[in-house]
Amino acid sequence: MKIAVAGKGGSGKTTISGTLARILAREIRHDLVAIDGDSNPNLANTLGLPREKMSKIAPMPRSVIKRVTGDDGKARLVLAMSPDEIINEYGVNTPDGIKLLLMAGIDHAGAG
Amino acid sequence: MRTLVKEMVEQYDRPTVVDMEAGLEHLSRGTIRYVDCTLIIIEPYFKSMETGARLNKLARELEIKHVYCVANKVRGKDDEQALEDFCAKRNMSLLAMIPNDDSMIAADRAGLAPLDFNADGVAVKAISQLAQKVMSLESIQKQ
Repeated sequence: MKIAVAGKGGSGKTTISGTLARILAREIRHDLVAIDGDSNPNLANTLGLPREKMSKIAPMPRSVIKRVTGDDGKARLVLAMSPDEIINEYGVNTPDGIKLLLMAGIDHAGAG
Repeated sequence: MRTLVKEMVEQYDRPTVVDMEAGLEHLSRGTIRYVDCTLIIIEPYFKSMETGARLNKLARELEIKHVYCVANKVRGKDDEQALEDFCAKRNMSLLAMIPNDDSMIAADRAGLAPLDFNADGVAVKAISQLAQKVMSLESIQKQ
């Protein structure tokens, strides 16, 4: 069950994603992962993470992805760790057993 | 960032909800092509519905199995009619309509998740029904 929620900014996408995730987590009763794919992240609070904890979430480091060169000589980016490792290491616990992954900041991680 | 989202969605084989970047980029670049279902949030005004139509077209081009629109902040019959008319013309499938609900704003002000602020709010209840519909989509229960 993999669901992506898309929409124009301000449409209520994040509010719906977060609320939907919580309700689904209660129904399926096993680990659900919520991914905040927005470079301007707001999903944590709609999942129920208190505001004061939101600012303490560390962005994922660049080391989770790496550049590899294929046999065709083309470089591409791939995961440097398994999804389970990423979730264990960087997943933030939110209510109803949801693990939240924050994608924002990774493009700038390690810069400067 | 796109790579990370794409790789996680492709490889992690358990229930996942992705709140996407606003706009068209993730869809136009296929970041989420491996999801089972895309929900496109639209509001009952032209710019929003038009954006929804573009997202709908991109998602269908990616051959994502279930592509549905969810109308949000719906105030009454005129809004419903406008949404239904637009979607019928643009090959958009409406899965749910979430009513406008001031308690969503109140929840935000209180710094709480809508579900924690008022589980009986009309919007939360509508999202609950949406969850039921999503779970009953063909093959989505395979995990």
